[in-house]
Amino acid sequence: MKIALFIPCLVNQLMPDVAVATLELLEKLGHEVIFPKGQTCCGQPMTNSGCYNEARNTTMKLLNSFKGVECDAIVCPAASCLVAAKENFHEFDDSPEAEAVIAKLYELTEFLHDVAPIPAFSKAFPHRISLQMSCHGVRMLGLASGSEFMGKPFNKVEAILAKIPGIEIRYPERKDECCGFGGTFAMDEGAVSAKMGKDKAWFHANTGAEYVVGYDPSCMMHLDGMIRRQQLPVQTRHVAQIINAAL
Amino acid sequence: MSHSSSATHAQQAEIFCRDESRVDWHSKALWLMREKRDRAAGSIPEWEQLRQLGSEIKLHTLTNLADLLQQFEANCQANGIQVHWARDGKEHNQIVHEILARHQVKKLVKSKSMLTEECHMNPYLEERGIEVIDTDLGERIIQLAGQPPSHIVVPAIHMKKEEVGDLFHEKIGTEAGASDPTYLTRAARQHLREQFLSADAAMTGVNMAVADKGAVVVCTNEGNADMGVNLPAVQLHSMGIDKIVPNLDSAAVLLRMLARNATGQPVTTYSSMYRGPKAGGEMHVIIVDNGRTAMLQDKILAESLKCIRCGGCLNTCPVYRRSGGHSYSYTIPGPIGIAVGGSKDDTNSIPWACTLCASCSGVCPTKVPLDKIIHHHRRLKAEAGQLPYGKANYMPLVGKLMGSQTAFNCSMSMARGALKILPGSLLKPFAGAWGKYRELPVAPKSSFEHWYKNNRSE
Repeated sequence: MKIALFIPCLVNQLMPDVAVATLELLEKLGHEVIFPKGQTCCGQPMTNSGCYNEARNTTMKLLNSFKGVECDAIVCPAASCLVAAKENFHEFDDSPEAEAVIAKLYELTEFLHDVAPIPAFSKAFPHRISLQMSCHGVRMLGLASGSEFMGKPFNKVEAILAKIPGIEIRYPERKDECCGFGGTFAMDEGAVSAKMGKDKAWFHANTGAEYVVGYDPSCMMHLDGMIRRQQLPVQTRHVAQIINAAL
Repeated sequence: MSHSSSATHAQQAEIFCRDESRVDWHSKALWLMREKRDRAAGSIPEWEQLRQLGSEIKLHTLTNLADLLQQFEANCQANGIQVHWARDGKEHNQIVHEILARHQVKKLVKSKSMLTEECHMNPYLEERGIEVIDTDLGERIIQLAGQPPSHIVVPAIHMKKEEVGDLFHEKIGTEAGASDPTYLTRAARQHLREQFLSADAAMTGVNMAVADKGAVVVCTNEGNADMGVNLPAVQLHSMGIDKIVPNLDSAAVLLRMLARNATGQPVTTYSSMYRGPKAGGEMHVIIVDNGRTAMLQDKILAESLKCIRCGGCLNTCPVYRRSGGHSYSYTIPGPIGIAVGGSKDDTNSIPWACTLCASCSGVCPTKVPLDKIIHHHRRLKAEAGQLPYGKANYMPLVGKLMGSQTAFNCSMSMARGALKILPGSLLKPFAGAWGKYRELPVAPKSSFEHWYKNNRSE
């Protein structure tokens, strides 16, 4: 398939390794990968604060960078940004061109589970990981059933990672409780955000995992900052980095 | 107390968070209720269908609210119940006072009613010489402590048993230093028994008002509503217009979820239906709007009126559990409090006391889309020019910066440089709340864009 990468601003600027891993793993799987120019923020920091007027320009700039791009799918290694992009594109542009872009948007694990499954992993990843089931991926994107849900449980992220030879998957206590990042919440409500992050970091560390693995870079950045402040013996990785290492 | 203060949620929460062991204790106590809820809900195979049904029943009710309210009124009157309509809290309090004054009531026993809290009824009646005794144990505790409830189902959850012991010692004469819950509960029971026997009138809130029966359903675990209502001649029941259900079948669906979602019990110990005055007595129902009709006008806010006040969203809320009920400016704290009180929040901060994690929406038995409503409140606040935390100043700048790729890349490359060159101690003051609590991100060498240009571009 021909895949256009949607690399959110945070990943582009502060976690380029996550973007590189995403690109490499998709190439290893035989896809043609392109990176359309002109991408910027999806507008989430503004719209999540209620500031829709302030979000319009940046959202439209991002949307326009994908309009007319020839590809089968647009793949993003950040669940929360993906959800916001979908919602904000809808909010500011109801043209058929915008709809065409929205219809191709996939979060990375969603794409690897629903659209183009990985046939087999070639390398082992003999490590214990603790999965960070971030909120927007679970409760808005449906990457997994939330712990609140009483129907048949499912977990697309685990389904993908569990096929990696040697991997041992664990979950923190209060499995999918929010890590406390919440965008500008981390600054507005510093004390509560920090306490949530601290609790989450310890719950992950308590699993004895070597790596905390997640699909939402912003949550991972927050947890990484908290883990290093607490000096916990665990490191953060993005799912793309784990998958890429096993291909 | 926090309710009279204009401090933001973040300021109140920061104070609560200073005692970390207390935060842990509070968070754990409420999470325990969430876990009990999970077990109770999980024991019912059709739980998710029940939620869907509950949501549809409430949507149907809200869609036909005027007709159902009139049907309820007519059926109540046929049952000998006197029905009163109150536009707001002030009218509600006046109506209640008028009824009580007519019967020369000196002491009113009341079982749990968040509506009377919302209307600030207790102080109104007390100023007019009527003693109001809250008879729910948790409510009695906070009433004796002179505090507002910190939770809608377990109003004294913020107090430890030792603190209750000290309070009871001072107020109702229990032994100094005694904190055994059984001992304290027995003492409270004895104390309340005297109040029940000497009361001139009784009041309850309403869990459901059954339109086709002209009856109200009241749920308690302590039997205090029934003990109150069955003794004196005059009984009053206050309800918001959103408490209507069409019939008993609908009430049964909601009753199957109410206690399970609240505390994990299959059903409340007492679920009583009152459908007429006792012989020689009077039964009054006061139906209150107090802003609810206005909420119905907004398609998104309207759904918050589907709430049946189980409190499940508070128990799961990671922010509520770590900031305490008194950190919210509105009488009802937590996600549902933000949803129904967001427009009344003069601190302009409670809609931001939320990470939009949406756990509340997943727990809700009537599928109130709480995270969407909270998000919507932020938009309404922004449109009204009521943004907190300096957002009105910096958001336009961020928007402009992000909208201009060149400027954004430039500033980020400067930031990356600063993160690499400057020592953390020097950067922390500039990183605000981030650096105060967390380490700053480790700066990469370059952006992905830059890497792509060097490694993949043709």
